[in-house]
Parts: sequence; C-alpha cells; structure tokens
Amino acid sequence: MAKVKQKDLILYSSLIILGLAAPYLFSAFKVQLTYLCVLIVLAMTWNLQGGEMGYNTFGNILFYGLGMYLTASVQVGMFFPLAEWTESGGEKTFVHTTAQYFQGIGVGLLVSAIVPAVIAGAIGYAILGLRGHYFAICTLGLGIAAGEIAGGIEIIGAGQGFTTPPFPAEIVDTEARGKFFYFLSFALLVGTFIFVKYIYGSRFRLILNAIRDNEDKAEAMGIQTMKYKIVGWMCSAFFCGLAGGIMGGLIGYIDSTDVAFDGREMGVFMVLMAILGGKGTLWGPVIGATLFHFFKEGLWTLILGWQYVALGVLIVVIVVYFPEGLMGWLREKYPERFGEVVDEKDRKAQVELK
Amino acid sequence: MNKIAKLFVTFISAITLALVSFTSSFAKVEGEYIVLGSAISLTGKYSSNGVHTQNGYNMAVERINKMGGVEVQGKKYKFEIIYYDDESNPKRAAQLAERLIKQDGVHYMLGPYSSGLTKAIAPVTEKYKIPMVEANGASRSLFTKGYKYLFAVLSPANQYLEVAIDLAVEKNGGKGVKIAQAFEQDAFSQDVRLGILDAAKRTGSEIIIDDKLPKELNDMAATLAKVKAVKPDVLVVSGHTKGALTAIRQISEMKVDVPMLAMTHCDAAKLSKQHGKKSEFALCASQWHKNLSYKDKFFGSGKKYAKDFQKEFGYDPPYQSAESSAALLVFKDAFERANSFDRDAVRDALVDTEMQTFYGNIKFGPGGQNVAKPMILFQVRCKGDDCENRVVAPTKWASDKFYHPIPKWSERS
Repeated sequence: MAKVKQKDLILYSSLIILGLAAPYLFSAFKVQLTYLCVLIVLAMTWNLQGGEMGYNTFGNILFYGLGMYLTASVQVGMFFPLAEWTESGGEKTFVHTTAQYFQGIGVGLLVSAIVPAVIAGAIGYAILGLRGHYFAICTLGLGIAAGEIAGGIEIIGAGQGFTTPPFPAEIVDTEARGKFFYFLSFALLVGTFIFVKYIYGSRFRLILNAIRDNEDKAEAMGIQTMKYKIVGWMCSAFFCGLAGGIMGGLIGYIDSTDVAFDGREMGVFMVLMAILGGKGTLWGPVIGATLFHFFKEGLWTLILGWQYVALGVLIVVIVVYFPEGLMGWLREKYPERFGEVVDEKDRKAQVELK
Repeated sequence: MNKIAKLFVTFISAITLALVSFTSSFAKVEGEYIVLGSAISLTGKYSSNGVHTQNGYNMAVERINKMGGVEVQGKKYKFEIIYYDDESNPKRAAQLAERLIKQDGVHYMLGPYSSGLTKAIAPVTEKYKIPMVEANGASRSLFTKGYKYLFAVLSPANQYLEVAIDLAVEKNGGKGVKIAQAFEQDAFSQDVRLGILDAAKRTGSEIIIDDKLPKELNDMAATLAKVKAVKPDVLVVSGHTKGALTAIRQISEMKVDVPMLAMTHCDAAKLSKQHGKKSEFALCASQWHKNLSYKDKFFGSGKKYAKDFQKEFGYDPPYQSAESSAALLVFKDAFERANSFDRDAVRDALVDTEMQTFYGNIKFGPGGQNVAKPMILFQVRCKGDDCENRVVAPTKWASDKFYHPIPKWSERS
C-alpha cells in the first residue's frame, strides 16, 4: 500500500462518499444496502481462501453463524440472565436501555470477531492438511454440523430460535435502526477492503498464491505453508464473525439452520459471488456480490416460484461462459487495460502454431 | 487499473440512476384498491402450507371484492395483495417485510406462514407501526413480547395438543400416562412441546421419550424404534406437514403399536387422502373443521366454504387456508369500523374486534392472540378405503366418538 495513485484516490473517495450518502439518497433501500455490504465482505473473505489460496471452503458460514450467536448472546448476557431470555422461546421480556443496547452490541461484536478467529485457528490446525475436494467436503460438514448442534443448545434458544434484543424504544426515529446497521456494515466493508488491499500488496498474498499454484513446491522453497494457511483462514473468520454479528442484530431473529448456519444460502452465495466476479482478484468479489445482489433483488420477485431455477441457470452460465469470472473475462479481452503487455508477434506466432 | 476504475465508476453511476428512478413507491391505498402486503413461503420447506395460506388469502380477497368490497367513508374499496416469496427463510422474510413497507409503501400486512417467520417479521412491522393480521404464527412467545400491532386469528401453539393429553388421562381412568414425544426443531413445534410439558405436569404424566427431529425431517425411525421398545400410552409428533407424513409412513412400515397417536398438520398433509387406511385413528389438533357451526355472510358456513374452496383449488381446505381467509374478514371489519385509513385508527379498531366468521369467533387478547376460539381434535376414520377427519373433541362439536385404543397392526386389515 505504498503510494495511492491519484486516480485511485479519486475512485476510492468517491466510493466512500457514495457509501456515506447512500442511506440518505436511497432511504427506502437501507436494509438491502446493508445486505450488500455484508455480502461483499463475505465474498471478499471467501476469496482469500478460494481465490488466492486455492482452498475451496464451504466452512466460512461457520464463523458467520458463530458471530451471530456470540454477538446476540453477549448483548443479552451482559445485562440479563441469558437462560431466562431464551427460555420457552423467549416468553419473558427484558428491555435494554439505550446505553445497554449499544454497549452490548459493541462488546458482542468484539467477541464475535476474536472467538471465530481463534476457532478458525484451532479447526484449521486440524483440517488444513486436507487438500482439494477433501477439504471442501470437510468444511461443508462443519457448517451443517454447527447448525444441528446450535439447534440443540437450550441456552441459545435451540429450535425455538433466538430473538435478538430489539432496538431501544427510546429512540423514536424509525429510520435510526436502519441507519445504525447500515453504517456499521459499511464500516466493516471499508475495514475489510483496506485489509484485503493491504494483503494484495504484501508478500503474504504471494505465499498464498504459491500454495495455490503448487503447495509442494512452496513447501520445498522453505515456506511453512501450514502456518500461512491457518493465518489466512483466521483473517477470514475475523471478518465473517463481524458480518454475522451485524446481520443477527439486523434480522432480529436467529434460527440455527435458516439464519445463522445458513450454508444452503449464504454459504453458497459467497462462493457464487466470488466466482461470478472473478476469484483471485481484488475487485472481482465486490463486483460479483453487487451484481448478484441486484440480480437477486431485482429479478427474484418477477419470477416468483422460479427464482431458484433462474439461479441454477445463472450458475451454469457463469461456469460455462465466465469460468474465470467477469474480471477474468475482461482481463482476457482487454489485457492491456490490466497493465499486461501483449506481444503481438508472439501471439500471432502461437496462433499459427495451433 | 485506471480503465477498470472508469468501468467501475460507470457501473456505479448506472446503478445509482436505476435506483433513483425506481424509488417512486406505491401508496397504501391506490385508487379503489387497499393494498395489503404479505411475504409467503412459495418455495422451501413450508411451500405446501405457504400455498394453502396464499389460497386462503386469495379466496377471501376475491369473495370480499365480489360482494361489494370494503366501505370506508361512503366509498367502496377493493383488496389487493402484494406477494413475495420468503423461501421459508426468516432472514428473507424480515428483509421482504422491510421491502413491502419501505419500497412498496404497504401500510397493512398479512402474516406469513409459520411461527418462525412471523417471529422474524413482527419486529419490523412493529418498528414501522404497521398493523399485521396473521393467521399462521401460533408460537406463544409471539404474544408475550408486548407487540401492539400484531393480531393473530388463531389459538396459540401450546394449546394444540394439551387436550389430547387430557383425553388420554381420562381414558386411563384419571391416572397419569406415559408419553413419548418427538418434535421438529422449529419455533412452532417446540411450542407445542411446551404445551405438552405443562399438561404432563398438571396431570402427573410421565414423559419417557423426548426426541428432537431435524428440520425438513424425513426419517424418525430411531424414535419409533424406542417407542416399540418402551410401549408408551401416547405418542405425540409434531413437525408441520412433513412431520405428519413421515410419522404415518414409518409407523405403518415399522408396525409400531401405540394406543394413541396425536399429531399436528394432518389436514394440511392431506393424510387421509395420501395414506388412507394407514392413517386411521390418528388424532389431530386443528384450528378449524368444516363441520363446526360458525357462520358469516361472506362464506356462509364452514361446509359451504369447503365446497367453494374445493371448486376453486381442487382440494379440501386445511385449517391453514380457513384461518387465512378469516384474516381478511378481520381486516375488512376493522377498516369499516375505523372508517379511515389511518394506521392507528385501524389498529385501535382491530383491538376492539369481536366477530363471528365461518372459521370461528374472533376476539383479541392483550397480547394479540385470539382468545374466543378453542382448538379442536379430530380423528381419521375410514369406511372401506374412504377416509375422512371426524371431530371428536371438544364434545360440543364432536360428530363422532373418540376411538381408543388404536387396534394393533396385527389386528388391522
């Protein structure tokens, strides 16, 4: 992140201004914009494993769900007995004061960032020795198992679900809640982007790429691949946990398999968005997530009942026509715009050879 | 990077333009239409019940519109519903509720299907002070949150099978019984479980099996194997439509003998049609049955409603459809009494609701639940291969005697 070029500076500052102004410009779309921020974060963090490191994980949903339950539990548990809050599906009512609410969610988010990161370290130590589809299947199991286990733990509501604390009633402005969660998620997005961009300019990324391209060779070069794989996964878990915590507060109701450990939707979406945009690129997941969200919000309701068929078609189209994602496709089409020098003579010679 | 930056800026501005031009929203009342909004499960695990709910809504909208609509301040209005598919997912439901209110400008909501989804939507409608009449969220905890804009036309979930336990105890000569139970891991079924726990405590019954079933269950053989071994007096199963279907399928396959089988969602699962004789003697909790003697001027009696529904949609209406239709009758009544489209006036009118519909009496308690209507139990009975649901409790409406105990499989033909 040595020097930010002037044009980049203009781009970034205009994007930040747009992001800050968005909830005022499109007041009615605040919730969708919040979703968009979270989706981008999930896609970008998935890209660290799936795109840069070549480890296709379906397990990131585990950290997302963990973050959700942790934030809500801490937010409640700091002020009230958690067991009574969730007992009988939340029959008793406790009310957070304004200060309690914000203190709770603040500490909750902190916990929901650190704990998933630690857990990612522990699980990573155990399973990052697996490669290829063995790793993918193993992580797929993680999310499903977590959902089933969470559905059996009484203190977090089990099958009844966990109602997160309602936004303080003392704040009468009905827009306040939407704005609060939007800015929270936007801050997370900016933080994640800066972090990932930093990684893109670092040696760390090159090591991840080396692992992707040939792990044995990387090992032979003296890189302790296990260490880097674990650290990479911990970074993703950190941001996924935060994203989950924010979503839990926004949705207001946590269900073990449908909201928190929602591998079938969020878990698949994050992979899909990264691939749609182009995995292994900085902007790919951002563009992929944005396009996907617009596709989903715009077209979903027009084709009621057929949306998943449309999603299936979309996946097929992506895989067949854009296997490298939109960014990859653009790169192939206009390599010079990506700063790649094409030797015309060499290219022609190659074509003739074929 | 620079070219890409330009591309990105173009992309962002295109989206901005698209959004700005799209922000023009509808109004709550458009011309002669009162626009209601509902997120409903058209896909996913609740899709069959979601469709029952939607059919119920549509049937009532059509009927009310045909019979003159809603009269507010001397002008006739018609109902119209904006539907979205919540995919049986609470996260999606909450988001769609927000969308209905903020983008589509809906000021009155109809409930989704299932307690879990209602739990996710209620905080949203409450925040924007949007009256919601819901017909399919029975979880008790919905009514203890102090929600002011939530009204449910149905009885709370914990009442579903309490009566069944009382019945079992009565047949056992007033002594406590041994209960085996298995419930799906979702808000509704777990609430039914709480009701059973209460009933067991009250009657001095003992719970000898207490299993949890996964969502979208299609196998409960492990529970049934235990039931075969320990021989309880009552087996209670609740897990929406799939739970009812799975239970009957596997009980008949494994030839599990149990004197009494109590379930929920038998009529939504069309048990008596799908499984015929195998489902005979199953005892089912229901919010409504067509043979009850309630009446209103739109649908006439329950029997007439069932006939009209059959004509329109080609199957016997389960209670999920009936209660959904009733929700619109409640809305119409409230609009006319409020004589205004002011949300708070409509809300206040809803609080004072006291009416009879073909579905039952409706009067809302302080938490928003319907306190004027009892639950009923019916039992599947067959004549030859023709099976139907007969009401057996409470005695006021019972058309048949409760058959107990269920004969052993070896004695059934």
